[in-house]
Amino acid sequence: MHELLNDPVDVMVSFADNRVLPRTMRWNQKDYKIENINLVHTVREGRKKVFYFSVSDLNNYFKLKLDPENLDWRLVELYTDG
Amino acid sequence: MNRIILHIDFNSYFASVEQQANPFLRGKPIGITGKQVERSVITTASIEAKALGVKTAMSTWEAKKICPSLMLWPGDPKKYAAITERFNCILKEFSPNVSQFSVDESFLDITNEAEDYFGATCLAQALRKRLQEECGEHITASIGIAPNKLMAKLACESVKPNGLTVVRSEDLISFIDTRPLPALCGIGRRIEARLNALGIETFKQLREFPLEDLQTEFNSYGTWLHEAAHGRDSSAVVSSTQKGIRNMHSEDVKSYGHSYTLPQDTYDPLVLKRYLLGLADKVAWRMRRDGIVSRRVSAFVRFGDFSSHGEQRTFHAPTANGLKLFQIAWNIIQPHLGYTPVRLVGLSASQLTQGPEQPPLFKKDRKILSVFSSLDTLQHRYGSGVWQRASTLSAKFKTRSSGFHYDHEV
Repeated sequence: MHELLNDPVDVMVSFADNRVLPRTMRWNQKDYKIENINLVHTVREGRKKVFYFSVSDLNNYFKLKLDPENLDWRLVELYTDG
Repeated sequence: MNRIILHIDFNSYFASVEQQANPFLRGKPIGITGKQVERSVITTASIEAKALGVKTAMSTWEAKKICPSLMLWPGDPKKYAAITERFNCILKEFSPNVSQFSVDESFLDITNEAEDYFGATCLAQALRKRLQEECGEHITASIGIAPNKLMAKLACESVKPNGLTVVRSEDLISFIDTRPLPALCGIGRRIEARLNALGIETFKQLREFPLEDLQTEFNSYGTWLHEAAHGRDSSAVVSSTQKGIRNMHSEDVKSYGHSYTLPQDTYDPLVLKRYLLGLADKVAWRMRRDGIVSRRVSAFVRFGDFSSHGEQRTFHAPTANGLKLFQIAWNIIQPHLGYTPVRLVGLSASQLTQGPEQPPLFKKDRKILSVFSSLDTLQHRYGSGVWQRASTLSAKFKTRSSGFHYDHEV
């Protein structure tokens, strides 16, 4: 199942090698442990540069959007296998 | 001095990027489509989908018919543009002479950096390792190394996916002779058919065919074919400081065009006008961005029954004004509307010349021209969609992703 969303989420991250690494995400009162960070890319939105993290746990693919100006995290895409 | 040219080409680029991002797509036949999956074409098929017969530019319904298990996945052009930018930065670490050939292909002149073919092979392996570190291990690329661009590309395409093919000067002829004619960049289906009609079906036969007879049949292209059959190509790797697809030499650009499949087939001339004007503005912006003006407009319309009509008009005063392009295009297609609903509209501008548009005679037109200058500055800074004509507000262009011709800045 593939869904396009724009839901605010809480994300716990670690910082290493000048990179931001999402570790867990809380969405709909449920915690998801991020197993893999598969791809990170940036997109210019007007003057802003926003970050997209394509991550996954054991069953789901999540695309997270980080606006570094206000540290707002959003879940913008979800794919569940099967 | 013998040159060493490296050609690198990502395998199933857009599909590989999606498989890198989403591990649940890996190992599955997927087809990257445009905005709406139902009325679209396959812009890239994954390696697994290609193995099942799905080809690029196939309509989605045809692809599904051939491969019912195919997963259709809407493309994300901004993501691909970001990866391409990263890819090009990595290439520049290996040689200052990088020429981007398309969104997922580049040439590097590595003569000085590699020194010989052993060095070139080591460099290619190091390049591949860097790409995997920066882009991910599921985004793979084929690499060809040869004494010129034409042969490097031919070498690159001989082993896919993830191949590394080295063709030294002394092996050129024996290598070319293992390849079919259409494998060479520059021999399409039409040229192949004409060559076949002359009794030429292999590169060996092409080499042995008298040059004069080739020139009689193909004019100057005959000389190019003769040289290519001998593995010769003197074109340089021209790097550019410009970004994106504009890395290609401006002389190579023959036309600027856009087409759009409408969300629903329609008879409504107002809807068609809005989309056509929106397309004309996109074409005009790209021309102004590249400092180009046009003297010819071609308009194209495809109807719901898949019949189509297209014509072109040439005019005296070169322009890069979207409204003027639209007016000419509308005059072309309007007489053919009203009988069958329209599925797709498109227009392109050709007969291009470098330089700004001639200042108009009338004050009102001069004002409009100066407004464009400001709007273009805004678009450069904030990206597409920063301005739109009020009359096209209800025409929503969904994002699309295609291969070679897609301009990510539009």
